[in-house]
Amino acid sequence: MKITKSLPLSVLTALLLPLANFAIADEGQKMHQLYEDNCASCHGSDHGGYLAPALNADTLKGRSPTALRTIVMAGSFDTLMPPFYGKLTDDEIRGVIKHLQNTPKLPNPPFTIDDMKASLKVYVADESKLPSKPAYAIDNMDDVIGVAARGKYGRGEGSRAIFINSKTHQKIGEVPTGTAAHIIDYNPANPRWAYVKTDTAEIFKVDLYSMQAVRSIKTGWNGPGMGVSRDGKYIMAGSFVPHNAVILNADTLEPLKTFELEGIDPDGKQVSSDSGMIIGTPFDDIFAIALENAGQVWVVDLKDGFPVTRITDVGHHLHDAFLTHGGRKLMIASYDDSIVAAIDLKDRKIIKKLAAGCVPHVGGGSAVVVDGRTLGFGTNFGDCDKTVVSVWDLDKMEVVKQIPVSGGTESPAAHANAPYVAVDIISKDRRARTVQLIDKKTLEVAKTLDVGGHAYFPEYSADGKFLYVSAGYSGDEVVVYDSTSLEKVASISMESPAGIFSHGRVRYMTRGLSPDEIKGAN
Amino acid sequence: MKRLLLSGLLTLCFATADNVSAAVIYAGQARAAAVCSQCHGIKNPSAEAPFPPLAGRDEAYLQTALKQYRDKTRKSDIMNAIAGSLSDADIANVAAYYAKLKP
Repeated sequence: MKITKSLPLSVLTALLLPLANFAIADEGQKMHQLYEDNCASCHGSDHGGYLAPALNADTLKGRSPTALRTIVMAGSFDTLMPPFYGKLTDDEIRGVIKHLQNTPKLPNPPFTIDDMKASLKVYVADESKLPSKPAYAIDNMDDVIGVAARGKYGRGEGSRAIFINSKTHQKIGEVPTGTAAHIIDYNPANPRWAYVKTDTAEIFKVDLYSMQAVRSIKTGWNGPGMGVSRDGKYIMAGSFVPHNAVILNADTLEPLKTFELEGIDPDGKQVSSDSGMIIGTPFDDIFAIALENAGQVWVVDLKDGFPVTRITDVGHHLHDAFLTHGGRKLMIASYDDSIVAAIDLKDRKIIKKLAAGCVPHVGGGSAVVVDGRTLGFGTNFGDCDKTVVSVWDLDKMEVVKQIPVSGGTESPAAHANAPYVAVDIISKDRRARTVQLIDKKTLEVAKTLDVGGHAYFPEYSADGKFLYVSAGYSGDEVVVYDSTSLEKVASISMESPAGIFSHGRVRYMTRGLSPDEIKGAN
Repeated sequence: MKRLLLSGLLTLCFATADNVSAAVIYAGQARAAAVCSQCHGIKNPSAEAPFPPLAGRDEAYLQTALKQYRDKTRKSDIMNAIAGSLSDADIANVAAYYAKLKP
């Protein structure tokens, strides 16, 4: 009797428990997918943070779910965090917050060469049928300027690479990228090809003549690093998640070799590392890649087996860099040491470490020739009291001046024909609307432009006559100024514009140098 | 009758004059950037956003709508909360700013 009585109960329990477990697992999976589809492109697929803060059980410990819900619903002012009100339901927002507060940072989720191969998409099968010249009026392909429009939500319809004729300031093409475009590179050997990398590590090969993507490949979960070799035959891409890099055939986008990014950091610890900047140089058939956490720069030779030379102890938390001297010297920023290290890519060793303000972010850097000296300009986040732009003599490798500016800075723009070096002020208040202009000769701030939005990523047109600036975040336009008079001449509307990349960069290598500089390269 | 019309007209004129002098476009711009643009954008909201565009909308309509949201005669969780933080001057400034923008 007892048995018969208890039997149904145990059967019921046996039946219900797995169901309940299944429901929980299912809910977790659903919330993970929701996170991947809405949040991970900025906050990191491993929950470890990327452009935006890390969201996991550790970082969100003790945070009020109600306060977090408000941020998700209404967005966060003067950041890229959009309001998800009306995009996600209240239940979804509550669910994802609960999920995040219970999920640890994931340990380097894999993305293998086979995953990459499987992700290769071909949009135009026969490239020989593409037009042989631009399908729009343009004097010179160097006049093309590409803007990485992030889109309000970091994905969707608004996420595009938008190309503009920098003489007429008219849009000449838009290529949808699915998630936020981050970096645009151009093929140095053939002006028709551009490469666009998104925050979710897809690379699009874009035909600038017909303004369409012809192929794409996903190279990881997150990470902006990308470079193109001087012969235009290879692309190297690196990820934050997972910790690897890959060399692709620039023509087919097929992956050729992957590299696990790990090494001994300046403190003697073996670490696995995010990929920082990757750069090709007109100086040699090589790529240089920064291993952020390992504090190393690797030089990869573009020959059989792609051998690697490791330059160690460059600095703590490396990030971005720029080239000088015909592409032989690399100036690379170390966030945590607040220095820029000069590296000789021929001898493959550190030349010198130079003071660089506070948390240097050189953002592509600038180099200009003034009165016979080649001066490098370096921006920095300025998370301490020191808000300066550093100027270095790139022959003597010494600090010339630290120019006081009104806040932290992220990217300097210069051009051989323009009188000012433009730096974007990023401090989180009204100053974020502005760009400051440093007179090349006096090395002092000559003018402040109130651009609007969150003004960042200044870039000169290839002829140096116009200065383009993204009024990002909610600004939703790119604003164009005359480089000399600094009068506003045009506004180009788009969703959350960020990085601006002139096609002219392939000719002058580093912004501010004359195209002759590159001719001096090997 | 005539008198009534005249005084009515006068009131109207005063009201209009009052609005013009009260609305400060620059203050509206600052307030819009800080409060409204996060969702509605400046010239346009995101193609995928569920929020209506404000640029070029009728000034009086924008004012009325904001005041209704503020006194909760028009219901919306999020707009009732946001409009609640705006003063009469804020509302006049923001409405004047958005009304003058070309979408």
